[in-house]
Amino acid sequence: MKKFDLELMVGLFLIAGIVALGYLSIKLGKMEVLGGGGYEVKALFSDSGGLRAGSSVEIAGVEVGRVKSIVLEDYQAQTVMFITSDVSIQEDAIASIKTKGLIGEKYVEISPGGADEIIQPGGRIRETQPAVDLEELISQFVFGKVD
Amino acid sequence: MNHVFYSHSILTVVLIWALAGTSVAGEPSDQIKQTTDKIISILVDPDLKDPSRSEERSKLVRKAADERFDWQEMARRALARHWKPRTDEERREFVPLFADLLERTYMKKIQNYSGEAVDYLGDRVEGKYGIVKVKVSTAKNLEIPVLYRVREKGGVWLIYDVSIEGVSLVNNYRTQFNSIILKSSYEELVQKLKKKVSKKRDLGAG
Repeated sequence: MKKFDLELMVGLFLIAGIVALGYLSIKLGKMEVLGGGGYEVKALFSDSGGLRAGSSVEIAGVEVGRVKSIVLEDYQAQTVMFITSDVSIQEDAIASIKTKGLIGEKYVEISPGGADEIIQPGGRIRETQPAVDLEELISQFVFGKVD
Repeated sequence: MNHVFYSHSILTVVLIWALAGTSVAGEPSDQIKQTTDKIISILVDPDLKDPSRSEERSKLVRKAADERFDWQEMARRALARHWKPRTDEERREFVPLFADLLERTYMKKIQNYSGEAVDYLGDRVEGKYGIVKVKVSTAKNLEIPVLYRVREKGGVWLIYDVSIEGVSLVNNYRTQFNSIILKSSYEELVQKLKKKVSKKRDLGAG
């Protein structure tokens, strides 16, 4: 009887451990199972400049979602973002790709608009601003200075 | 090639017209081209180049721009979340103020027009909305990509946002206005804009 109890405890402990591990990997991997509590919004950028699936989507610096996928469409970057359900995005919101710090990782910043219409799940943010290519700007500045 | 651009000869003007005329497609492009051509013709008009007529020149440019820019839509988008709480009266005051701010900020740059070529790279229309891609080439062979966002209103395409090098004008003002309003108040923002507009006006006269 006593031996059975011990084995049961070990088994339960092991299962609890696996569940905890699964929970951790989902949380750390930032994977949302079952699309939990959110919706998808698309945006077309002319240049995604190093944005990756998993990059964060922020409003006023607060993370409100993540980039789900980026694919090439008509030689532009079609980005699908997953936004948490308690955040609504207005029709005239502007999505721009920004860099954390000067050389940090890329993320999407949404500046909320003032329109009454809200973007529906699966809808598209029309106004986008591509990643600013610092190198290009610097080179233009440099070449602009020539002569 | 550069020398051709540098000289302010009739040939240069002819060349600009020829360049501006290439690869025009679609209605929004046509309408923006019309306005751009109109403004350029005002700017290159030798009769208006005289400093004593600079005010008249500015007025003509502004009038041409008024026909193409949807100031109300731009102001609404720039204020974004702070547009809704405004009363009709405040809105009526804000829209021309915002247009004046843009005029004061960009008129000086436009006045310095020196034969930059404008290329129309095509447009894309999606329902009532469209974008027009333009490339401005300066005499120093610098190419500046400009993107106009337009909206159809009664058969006319009106500009509600301009992106230069991918940086949106509306987003720039939206961020600034938002931080000013959150830090102080809407009234403070209007005061600031009024001050800025009148200051620039004095500078322009002096």
